[in-house]
This record gives sequence, C-alpha cells and structure tokens, in this order.
Amino acid sequence: MPCALITGITGQDGLYLSELLLQKGYDVYGLIRGQNNPKARLVAETVPDVRVLAGDLTDLPSVLWALQISQPDEVYNLGAISFVAYSWKQAALTSDVTGKGVLNMLEAVRIYAGPDLDEVRFYQASSSEMFGKAQQVPQSESTLLWPRSPYGVAKVFGHYMTINYRESYGMHASSGMLFNHESPRRGIEFVTRKVSRGVAAIKLGLSDKLVMGNLEARRDWGYAGDYVDAMWRMLQQPEGDDYVVATGETHSVRDLLEAAFDVVGIENWRDYVEHDPTLLRPAEVDALVGDASKARQKLGWTPRVSFPELVRMMVESDLEKMQARQVESYGLGINR
Amino acid sequence: MTAPPRALITGVNGQDGWYLSRLLLADGYQVFGLVHGRDGVPVADGVIVIGGDLTRSADVQAAVDYVQPDEVYNLGGISSVALSWQEPILTADVTGVGLLRIITAVSASSERRGKQSRIVQASSAEIFGEAFGAQTEDSPIMPVTPYGAAKAFAHDLARVYRGAGVSISTAILYSHESPRRPETFVTRKITRTVARIARGESVQLRLGNLEARRDWGFAGDYAHALQLIARHPAADDFIVASGESHTVADFVTAAFRRIGVTDWSALVDIDPRLQRSVDPPDQRGDSSKIRKKLGWHPSKNFEELVNEMVDADMQLIDSASPLPG
Repeated sequence: MPCALITGITGQDGLYLSELLLQKGYDVYGLIRGQNNPKARLVAETVPDVRVLAGDLTDLPSVLWALQISQPDEVYNLGAISFVAYSWKQAALTSDVTGKGVLNMLEAVRIYAGPDLDEVRFYQASSSEMFGKAQQVPQSESTLLWPRSPYGVAKVFGHYMTINYRESYGMHASSGMLFNHESPRRGIEFVTRKVSRGVAAIKLGLSDKLVMGNLEARRDWGYAGDYVDAMWRMLQQPEGDDYVVATGETHSVRDLLEAAFDVVGIENWRDYVEHDPTLLRPAEVDALVGDASKARQKLGWTPRVSFPELVRMMVESDLEKMQARQVESYGLGINR
Repeated sequence: MTAPPRALITGVNGQDGWYLSRLLLADGYQVFGLVHGRDGVPVADGVIVIGGDLTRSADVQAAVDYVQPDEVYNLGGISSVALSWQEPILTADVTGVGLLRIITAVSASSERRGKQSRIVQASSAEIFGEAFGAQTEDSPIMPVTPYGAAKAFAHDLARVYRGAGVSISTAILYSHESPRRPETFVTRKITRTVARIARGESVQLRLGNLEARRDWGFAGDYAHALQLIARHPAADDFIVASGESHTVADFVTAAFRRIGVTDWSALVDIDPRLQRSVDPPDQRGDSSKIRKKLGWHPSKNFEELVNEMVDADMQLIDSASPLPG
C-alpha cells in the first residue's frame, strides 16, 4: 500500500488531497504544528483515517522524525502561511515557514531517503503569486517570476529550491504552480469565502453589507478538489517536473460578487457592497491567468468545476452551515 | 504523536561521541553531530552530521538553530595534552572559547523558542593540574597544560553562566579509555603494541613515564554519566572517575598478562623524549557525588578494561590480515 505524508493537512488542499489519497488506498499521514492545534479536530472529523504527527516546517528534526515514522513514498508539502495580505505584516515568519520550510522539507527528505532518494517523490505547492507583476499573459512554466508580496517571494524560494534539489540530487521533486483554487473549505480570510459567507449572511438577514477592497482585481479561480488531483498526477510521472495548474479563465472580484448574489437571487447587489480602500494590497498583482497546457497534455489533467458552479457550491455550503447554526442556536435558546 | 527528544553533540566523531550517540539513539533520541570537516567522518549509524567549526560562532548558531536541541553535549575540542603544547592558541579557541559560542547560541535559540536546552560540558581532570589525593568538585582549579587551562576556562564559564540562569552542567571526566581510543593516547598505544606482539610481530613498546598515575575508566560508562547529568533536573558539577589510580606500569603489566606474558621488561623501552614536560604525578577523582546523587557506577574495572582493549586490538589485527594462501 503506498504511503503519503502531507504537510498543511489542516488546510483546504490538505483535506481534499487526504480524501483523494485515502480513496486511492494510500496510508495517509499528516503533519500538524503544535500539540494543541485547534484545527486538529477538523482533520479528525473530516478525514478520520489520516494519522496525525506533530511537526513544524521551521523545525527540520521534527519533519525528519515524521518522515522516519511514516516512511512515505510520496511527500506533499502544502504547509505554508498562505494568506498574502498577512504576509506583509509577518514577512519574516512567512519567509521562515513558506520559504525556508520548503528547504527543511527537501533536506529532511534527502536525509530520510539516503541512497534511495529517487524512490521518494516530493511535491511542492508553488503558487501563481510567484508571477505577481506578470511578465507575460497567460503565464506558463517558463514565464519570468516577479513576486509582489513576501508570500510570493517565499514561494519563489521554495520553487527554485525544489528545482535545485531535483537537478542537483536527482530527487523526484515536482513543483505545482497552482493558480487560485477555492472551495467551501477555503479559509474565511480569502476573498471568495468572504463573499460566499457574506452573501449567505445577507440572504439569511444576518447582515446587511459586505465591505470589499479592490473589485477590479482579476484572478484565475478553480476548484480545489480538481487541483489536488493534479498534484497526485505529478507524482505518478516518471520524472519530477514543474506544472502550471489553472483554468485559463479570469474573473474579477466584481464577477465573483455578481455570481454569488445571483445564487441567492439578489439582483441589486451593489446596494449591499461597501468599498474600503484600507483593504487594498500594498502592491496588487496583475492579470494572473495560467496556461495549463503542459498539465493538460502530460498529466491528462482537466478542471471539472466551472466558475459559476464553484461559486454556487460555496454560497450554498455557507447557507447550509449558517442555517444549521441558526437552528442550533434556537434549540439552545441562546438567540432571541 | 510527538517527536522524540533531540541531542546535539560536538565531537560526535570522537571516542566519547561514539559511545554517547549510541546510548542516546538506543533511548530513541534524534542525534545530531557537529563535525569539523564533514565528509567521511566515522560516526555511529543513525547520527545526522552537520558540518561546522567550534571556532566559528555562525556555524555553532546555525547548528543550534537547525537542531533546536533538548540536550547539547560539548565533547568537541583539541583533546590531546601533547597537541595543546604545539597548538596552544587553537586549543584555547576550540576547547576553551568554543563553549562560550555554544552557550551564546543556545541562549539565543532558547529565548526564541521559549524552551531551554540543557548543556553538558565535558570538563577534564586536567583542570586540577598536579593535585595530590582524590579531587572533588570543589578542589582548586590549577591547570598545568594549555589543554588544562582551556578546559579550566570553559569550566569556569559554565559556572558563570549557570549562575546567570543557563542550564549547564559539567562532567569532570578522568581518563576514560576504550578500543576506540586513538593510538596517540598511551593506553591504546600499549594495547595495540601488546596485541601485535601477541600476533608474533617483533616490536618494542616505547614509553615515556612509567610512573605516572592515572584514574582510568571505560569510556562507555562515562558517556552514560553524561546522559545522567543531562537529565538531572538541577544543573551541577560532577566528578566522573573510577576512584582508583594505577601507574602506566600497572597498565603495561595488565596488558601483557592478558597475552600470557609476565616478565615484560625486555619488550619495553623507556624513552625520556616521550616524557611530558609537565605531567601530573597522580590523578584520582572522588566520584561519590555522582554515585550518590545520580546512582552512577562504572560497569568495568581496570582489569576488565585493559583486557577488552587488548582483545579488541587482537581482533582488529586478525580481521585485517589477509587469509593465508
């Protein structure tokens, strides 16, 4: 039975990837930071078959121990401080975790695998944020990287380190340059989830406005469940490589709002949206749109969920969660 | 499931580093070794080697940050008294100031992590110089060699920083030997030569001072003492010694006895050039504190130690010789 170790198991992608690998018959181990991580319960509830190990990307020996315990054939490094806006406030921490954490993982895999280095396959979660001030539209694997945030800079470091371990040590290491990918499990600090929750709250009469930053920012948004499949496919190739994973379409935040309000049947959505300039990024990234032809051709990968379907999935999920919570609150007599 | 404790050992490729890393690995530790000149050093299986030099603060800090150790054992340094006369400045820098680099690095790292590492400093009987009688933890420190002075400096540093709240203990180790001792040390020189004589080579054993007395123990037992000291909740100083002293002549007698030779006078040459300019006439440690407080006791006596070393050297010769025909 193949075995995988996933870092960032508590995140959106970690959960989807765990489900995919468990379904394929893998033994799945997940690395969780800290002994009392509040998200550990989420993992236990969502994917109870995942075995959890304590470890921290900034702490190489802990990662090495996790590798020695789990003895994985495949290692997926999804762990990171992944929120771009936060990375401006915590630039040093982001560099340590999102950047140097990758080096710790690569080094730990190298030590763990010893002479059998090519038998352990490594996946690095790279990001479209590496393209930042895009030097080419659409962006492919060979587009010059121009990160525009501490997060992007840290991801570039991890990307190049992964390539260097592949080229220098012959490691089967792949970098997935993933464009934005969303789902009902997306963290609430991300704009898609902020919108889906905000719209659900407005629909249920729990809120009457949504405060937004830049409505013109455009992103290439896909469905996280589709993207974790691309990760797995990369590690089934005979050689490690780099792949852009994207839908190839962009939508603005305005489009996102329109689609989300459309799900709940609200047409005059502008009446609910307020603008707050403090929510703008210090440096916005340009039109990020990925050219995933290589992934489509070599991996046979294709995105299945369209943009409107994705938005519908997210809004409906948030409606459901909020309704469930309302019922729960009434039942306990807390509310009203 | 949480990760096991981890140890950082300087001088992991030396005799003591080998025994200590084996004990720690057997206890489930992750063991990391700081090694000067990283390639091809013999370390116990399972030890993860980090390149670095005790004379470079940045190397020491990087290793400590990388390992984030629970326990740090400082065994590294110039370990030969004779070499310390030839390289006194290097000895002071590695064996003396090296500990200060470790303390500084560990303190910085502990502060960042909010978790203290325990440091164990391998002190030496050489800090007492030409003392008479059995020394205790409170005996005056009066080194008579550059090696002893460097160790004394580190020993004092450990006490200074312990007073300032750093968790640092010292193990004042008396001579401790094993088949892994290099031949530059008199014990191994004796057993190696005696083994060659036993295997029919016509060699003479050339020695300097036969009357020097030392308190000799088995290195594996002393490595165990280091572990006990690290785990003791209160940082402190501990003498680690057998409590018995023997002359070099006693060692020679025991080694020859192992191969059935009782009168060895014709096989040994005394060469005054091999004598040290200064040589403590008698070194003997009073290890009652560690025996009482930590329950440590040696597993091998003098005779057993000598026998094991002679046997190991004979085996080494046998396994290295090409098969006849």
